[in-house]
Amino acid sequence: MSAPLLELRQLVVRYGSITALHGINITVQAGELVALLGANGAGKSTTLRAISALIPAAAGDVLWHGGSIARLNTERTVKLGISHCPEGRRVLARQSVADNLALGAWLRRDRAGIAADLERCYGLFPRLAERRSQLAGSLSGGEQQMLAIARSLMAKPTLLMLDEPSLGLAPKLVAEVMAALAQLHRDGLTILLVEQNAQAALAIADRGYVLEAGAISTSGNAAELLANPSLRAAYLGEAEGAKPN
Amino acid sequence: MDHLLQLLLNGLAVGAVYALFALGYTLVFSVLGVINFAHGALFTLGAYFTYLLIGGAVGANGLIAGLQLPFALPFWLALLLAGVGAAAVALVVERIAFRPLRARGSDPLLALITSLGAGVILVNLIQLLVGAESYSIPVGTLGSLPVALSIAGAKVRTVQLLLLAIAGVLLLALTIWIDGSRSGKALQAVSEDPVTAQLLGINSGRMIQIAFGISGFLAGMAGGLVGLSVSIAGPYFGIGYGLKGLGVLVLGGLGSVPGAVLGGLIIGLAEACVPADFSGYKDAVAFGFLFLVLLIRPQGLLGRPLAEKV
Repeated sequence: MSAPLLELRQLVVRYGSITALHGINITVQAGELVALLGANGAGKSTTLRAISALIPAAAGDVLWHGGSIARLNTERTVKLGISHCPEGRRVLARQSVADNLALGAWLRRDRAGIAADLERCYGLFPRLAERRSQLAGSLSGGEQQMLAIARSLMAKPTLLMLDEPSLGLAPKLVAEVMAALAQLHRDGLTILLVEQNAQAALAIADRGYVLEAGAISTSGNAAELLANPSLRAAYLGEAEGAKPN
Repeated sequence: MDHLLQLLLNGLAVGAVYALFALGYTLVFSVLGVINFAHGALFTLGAYFTYLLIGGAVGANGLIAGLQLPFALPFWLALLLAGVGAAAVALVVERIAFRPLRARGSDPLLALITSLGAGVILVNLIQLLVGAESYSIPVGTLGSLPVALSIAGAKVRTVQLLLLAIAGVLLLALTIWIDGSRSGKALQAVSEDPVTAQLLGINSGRMIQIAFGISGFLAGMAGGLVGLSVSIAGPYFGIGYGLKGLGVLVLGGLGSVPGAVLGGLIIGLAEACVPADFSGYKDAVAFGFLFLVLLIRPQGLLGRPLAEKV
């Protein structure tokens, strides 16, 4: 079997004297949608930040197609095809929707491909097309999240990493965003999805990992995790032992 | 009426230099959030570069006393090269005084001190090399251009018009670049959110270098123009402009490009309106004006309210 697209091997990340990740192992195969679940402060965002080289790995390794990328800088990871859609959307509020998307394609030079991807993004999120000349800061929270995702797609990633895209969105918008991610997944994109909303994430994921205090506590395919009683208790808002309906 | 036009043009010419100067500050401020205190020294350097390149001779004091380049370039070329030279020095300043701090993740405010240090070193280096006397760029430098022109009955020095024109072109070019080009927008992205810019694959280190380079270029050109217009009053003559440039920056709104231009023109005009008999009070007028504006609009004329930035 060939090497997985992405593999975290015994990855350790420290912030000063605090260890945020205690040697975690995660693999993502090409074409998979993998959910990374866990409570606040469990280390989910840290994991993505380490893959994007925003923070250095203290030990262990990050492998891309089997080769180490743990010592690269962020620009290089984007060039490799890793697109990281950060927590809190972080759209460039003072630039237009179209300019935000154009900057998403910063490292690309294929004009025709960029134009085609722009149309694809507008097709995926028609509301962005309507607001293309508006300042990103004037969009609603849900629209900003769509813009952030679309901007990450403009890099034409091999792996799309999303950090809590459902955060702060109304349930209807969460469903809309998740449906878009499911669509991207069906089209063949590999996705690593960080979520606190385990129910929504597992509904579209192939597999999932659960992070607790910087270590993987559970992993398995999405259906198994959805049925796991202790997970239901911890993340799906049910008392342990309660009957799923 | 003639007098008013003359006043206006003089004010605009001086204001345009202030604007150029403040724009250099603004560029670096917008990407790093700190003021580069070596900016005044780059301005001074630009003036000396220009003087040397048009074939001026160094005075009797200093290590390179009596030095004169074997060629004399036309003024416009000398000015351009002076800008390039100042830009190169700006890159060195970035490398020495800014980047090491950034690499260590230190508080950005520390760069105030290191850049001030770099400025002091540069100014003293100039003094060591060419001495402290003042130099003036000879009148004949502009070649066949007349010393003064008559516009609608008002006598205006050609230098002032030249200054206004060059500054205007530079300001326009910079604005078009920032708002209309891909790299200009990437620079804005670094300025608004460095982490996100990184995640888009924008090399923020490179954008910071570009900001320093352009900033130094503007400072060098401004220095050469002022040297031509009034004279180079010794190695420290950039300091006054540095302070004035800071005033302009704050008046226009920190980090705002149009604000820097507007602030520069306003301060230039305000100074021009001070009668010749009271010219000693020019700075008081300029800074008094700044003081009044800040009482009413603490974020500056075109600045964003601070709350939004935090």
